[in-house]
Amino acid sequence: MHNVIAFTVFGVDWEFFKPYIVLGLALGGAYALSGVGIVVLYQATGVLNLAFGAVGAAGALICYWVLNHTSWPGAIAYGACIAFGAACTFLYGVLFGPAFARRDPLVKMMGTLALALILLGFMAWRAPAGGAFNRVLTLPSSKHRFELYGAVVNWTQVLTLIFAIVLTFGTALFLRHTKLGTAYRAIATDREITATLGVPVRRVEASAWLGSGIVCGTAGLLLADLFTTLDYAALTFLVISSLAAALIGRLRSLTATLLGGLTVGVVQAVLTPYESLTQYRTAAPFVLSIIALLWMGRHREVVFSKTAR
Amino acid sequence: MTVTAPALNREVIVRSVVIVAVLALALFVPPATLGGDWITTLTSVAIYSVVAGGLVVLYGKVGMISLGQIGLLAIGTWTATRLHYLLDLPYPLLMLATGAITCVVGVLIGLPALRLSGLYLALITLMGAGAIDVVLHTLDFPNGGGGFSGHQGIIDPSSLQTVQRPSWGTGDTAFYRYVVVICALLFLLALVHFVSKPGRAWAAIRESEPAALAAGVNITLYKMWAFALASFMTGVAGCLLASHFGNPTVGSFPREQSLTLIATALIGGIFTLWGAVIAGVFMMLVPFILQTQWNVDSNWLLIIFGAGLLQVLLTAPGGVAQQLPKDLANLGRLIARPFRRKPNAPEGSA
Repeated sequence: MHNVIAFTVFGVDWEFFKPYIVLGLALGGAYALSGVGIVVLYQATGVLNLAFGAVGAAGALICYWVLNHTSWPGAIAYGACIAFGAACTFLYGVLFGPAFARRDPLVKMMGTLALALILLGFMAWRAPAGGAFNRVLTLPSSKHRFELYGAVVNWTQVLTLIFAIVLTFGTALFLRHTKLGTAYRAIATDREITATLGVPVRRVEASAWLGSGIVCGTAGLLLADLFTTLDYAALTFLVISSLAAALIGRLRSLTATLLGGLTVGVVQAVLTPYESLTQYRTAAPFVLSIIALLWMGRHREVVFSKTAR
Repeated sequence: MTVTAPALNREVIVRSVVIVAVLALALFVPPATLGGDWITTLTSVAIYSVVAGGLVVLYGKVGMISLGQIGLLAIGTWTATRLHYLLDLPYPLLMLATGAITCVVGVLIGLPALRLSGLYLALITLMGAGAIDVVLHTLDFPNGGGGFSGHQGIIDPSSLQTVQRPSWGTGDTAFYRYVVVICALLFLLALVHFVSKPGRAWAAIRESEPAALAAGVNITLYKMWAFALASFMTGVAGCLLASHFGNPTVGSFPREQSLTLIATALIGGIFTLWGAVIAGVFMMLVPFILQTQWNVDSNWLLIIFGAGLLQVLLTAPGGVAQQLPKDLANLGRLIARPFRRKPNAPEGSA
C-alpha cells in the first residue's frame, strides 16, 4: 500500500497514480456514457430515466441468451441488445410519455422507476442471478488488451470512453445544427409554446425516446462486458452512480456530464491505494453528487410559479 | 367568555371504533389462528408499516420525498445492535436511544431539504442511501467485536449473541403483540402531529411554501420537525427489526428494497396512515403468501408493483387506501340498483 503520509499536495507522485488514472478514465467512461444518455432524454422530455440501467441489463441478458443458446452470429446478438433497448424505451415513451407530459419531474421519474421494477421482476424471474447462474458476457473487443502507464486496458474500455466522447460532442452538434435538435431545445424550454409553433411535439419526443433507447442498449452491452459478471441488479443500480455525472452536469450540460463522469471514475480509482479509504471508494459517486446537488441548491429562491423552480 | 368543547362528530367516532377494532383483531386473532411463520411475517408487516408511515409524514403531509428511508432503517438497526453490545439498556430505553440517534442522522440527511425540493430532494436522498449502503457494507453489522463498528471478522456462529427482546416479549407471539402495540403508539404519535399545529403547518408548506412563509409559518423548523418525526419512527422500527432478526446483516437490506418501499407506499396510499399499513402488507405479507402458500415466484410481485405504481401515478394518486372505499361504495350502489324501488312515475306522464 502506498504511504499516505508521503502524499503532499505539491509533491504528488504522478508516476504512482498513472495506472489508477488510466483505470479511472475507463471506469469514468462508463459513468459518462450513462450520464450523457440520461441528460439527453431529460433535456428533451423532462424525464429522468431511472430505468436506463434496467433496460440495458435486460438487453444484455437477451444478448447473452442469443449468444449461448442459439447458433446465430454475434452481430445479431449485439443487435438484439441495442434493438431491445431502443424498442423498450421507445414504447414506454410513446405509451406513457404523453400521459406524464404535464406532470411534475418527480412523478415522471417515478414512472420510469415503475418500468425499472417491472424489468427487474422479469429478469429475476427468467434469469435468476447468483450461485450457479453466474453469466459472463465478453465482447470480441475485450480479448485485445494493451498496457498503458502500467495499467492493462482492453478495447471495450477504450470503446466505451470513445463512445461517451462521440456521443457528447455528436449530440451537442446535433442539438445546435439540425432542425430536430432545435425542436428538442425548444421543447426543453417550453413544451406548450413549442406545440403552438407547429412543432409535432409528440413525434419529436418519441424520437428522443428512441435515440435514448439506442444509447441505453449500447451502454448495456458495453457495461455488461466491463463488469466481471452479467449481474442485472448491479447494472440496474449503476444508473444511480451514473446520475452523479449527470448531476455534476446540472442535468443540462453534456460536456460537464462527460467531465463529471470521468472525474467520478478517476476519484474512485485514485482512492484504491489508500488503505483506509479503499473500501469506501464506491461511495465516491454518491458523495460527489451530493456535493453537486448542494452546490446547485445554494442560491434557492422562493418563487410562486411552479415552472420557475 | 365560556368555551365549550366541540362535540365529537360522527365520523371521528366511527374512525376511532374501526381503529380500535382493527387493533384488537391484529392483537388477538392471528396468534390464536395462525402458525409461527405467519406471526413472524406479520411482525415484519407491522415494522415496515411504520417505515412507510415515515414516508406518509414526509411526502404525504409535507410534500418532501425521501428515497433513503431503507438506508435510515438500516442505520436504526445498526445503532440498536451496536447499543445492545455496548450497553445493557432496558428495552424501552434501547428503543428510545435508537430512535433519538436515528432522528439526529435523519435531520442531518434532511438538511438539504431546506434548499432542495421535488426531483432534486429525491435524488439527494437516493444518493445518501447509496452512500449509507457502501458504508454499511464496509463496516458490517456489530456482532460483539470492539471499536466503533463492533464487528469482528471471524466468529463462531454458535457463540453469536442475538439482539435482546423486551423481557415480556421474548417469544415470537409475545414479541409480535409488543411490536403491534409499539407501532400503534408510533402511529398515534404521528396522528397527534397531523391534527395539531405541526400538521397545519405541514399542510400549508405542502400546498404552497411561499404562501406558508407569508403566513408566518417557520418553514425551517417544521421541515426539520417532519424529518425528525419520520426518522424517529424509522429508528424505533429499526430497533424492533434488530430484535426481530436477532443477528441483522447487510443482506437484510437489499438495494431494491428502497424502490419497493416507495412503490408500495404509493400503491398503498401515501396520504394516510392506513396506506402505510397496506404498504407493509404489500411489502411483507403478500410475498410470503405467494411464495410459501401458493408456491408462486415472488419476483412476479415486482412486476405487479411496477404496474401498480404506474396505475397509481396516472389515475389514482391516493392509492388503495383512498381508492378502495370509493370502489366498494360504487360496487355497493351497483349491486343495490336492481333492488332499489323505482320512483313513481308522475301522474299523466304516460
